[in-house]
Amino acid sequence: MSEMEKLRIFDNELKKLNERVINMSHLVEEQVSNAILALNTCDMKLAKQVIENDNMVDKLDIKIDKLCQNIFALQQPVATDLRYIISSLKINNDLERIGDHAVNIAKRIEPFCNYMSFSKKFGIDELANTAVSLYKDVDQLIKTHQLVLANDIFHNALIIKDNCHKASEKIIEEMMHQSEVIVVATNLMIIINLIERIASYSTNVAEAIIFVVEGKIVKHQKRNEEH
Amino acid sequence: MILQKIRTENMYLYYGNKMALNNVSISIPEKQVTALIGPSGCGKSTFLRSLNRMNDLIDSVKIEGNIFVDDINIYDKNIDVVNLRKKVGMVFQKSNPFAKSIFDNVAYGPRINGNNNKSELKEIVEKSLRDAAIWDEVKDRLHDSAMGLSGGQQQRLCIARTLAVDPEIILMDEPASALDPISTSKIEELIFQLKENFTIVIVTHNMQQAARISDNTAFFYLGELIEYNKTKKIYTNPDKKQTEDYISGRFG
Repeated sequence: MSEMEKLRIFDNELKKLNERVINMSHLVEEQVSNAILALNTCDMKLAKQVIENDNMVDKLDIKIDKLCQNIFALQQPVATDLRYIISSLKINNDLERIGDHAVNIAKRIEPFCNYMSFSKKFGIDELANTAVSLYKDVDQLIKTHQLVLANDIFHNALIIKDNCHKASEKIIEEMMHQSEVIVVATNLMIIINLIERIASYSTNVAEAIIFVVEGKIVKHQKRNEEH
Repeated sequence: MILQKIRTENMYLYYGNKMALNNVSISIPEKQVTALIGPSGCGKSTFLRSLNRMNDLIDSVKIEGNIFVDDINIYDKNIDVVNLRKKVGMVFQKSNPFAKSIFDNVAYGPRINGNNNKSELKEIVEKSLRDAAIWDEVKDRLHDSAMGLSGGQQQRLCIARTLAVDPEIILMDEPASALDPISTSKIEELIFQLKENFTIVIVTHNMQQAARISDNTAFFYLGELIEYNKTKKIYTNPDKKQTEDYISGRFG
């Protein structure tokens, strides 16, 4: 096989990987959006669909892992290619976790149907919507590699984490005064935690894309400013 | 502190009117492996050969600029080229043992340097063969012809022959390109061990080999030193696009 042919195979494999990661991201975006919509509207049918679709996320997760493994073994990538494949593995892992959190949210919706006003009282619907729009930026970043989006993600994830913390404190206070809400409030706290985790994994993805584009490792940094 | 063993300053090399090296300035650290990479004709072998004045053998070659080994300009008029080549040994792409016994191949250098003491020669031969990781394979047939060794063994014998004159620097010009994967891995392992005591400069076309064995990598293109850095940096995040294109096989 000539060098040119080998290179063509390599480039095709990279293209395939890129398409799969983008597909994974779209799929997870749909899962997050639907889980939050189901939460905010108490749509049990939609929640069930999210739970069922997790299977598709898991299958794609394995396909991406295998493709990366093959590229490492057969093509010995270097430089940007190497960083891209390392990051694709990490991003894939983070997306799969975000998908799992969407499923976990969907599984906890039913108990809320009788307590929608309780949930709204703590602004959980708005908080959840900000997580959806944060993830839309993640999806765009994966597709375009425009680093300005990474800074938006870092910034918005911090706001979400802060709001999650504030909402949790308010709920704890409510629980101290009204013992009958403890069960639903505990569930709500778990959902808030899941939203916070989605924000956290979103920053991981942004860090991985910065590593691809600039070769800089920006994880584990205190982040109040732009990277 | 890491000492700089070899240093070139604004070095130009011409074959007749054709410029083969264009303003190369580089510092090569002591007791490390430095790989020279680049497409055919980029000047990397020419550069390697100028480090022990092997290019002196070509009439049309003209060199400008300075090349220092241990801060001594090796192109000074009063430099003894034979001594320089003792200090800066060389291993070539094709193994070139003499049609003599294994022992005589390794003892050749010390003998022409005037050492005829049998027990000393025996000691030098054993140490050199051990350092070249071939002693166990040849210790029982030291007086057999070197021509009966396999390609990989012949190449390690040539490395032993280089070591026998006690060099400080070893230049290697694609030393494993004609070898099978097992012999190649033995040579690579040997290079890894040798860098404890020697400064090694190696030309290779094998990108993975350069990545595996070298501490520093210099990328040459059209006679220019395009990028020189730690190998880890070159292979994960090179500064120049030309370097990236070359190491990832997207050149041209």
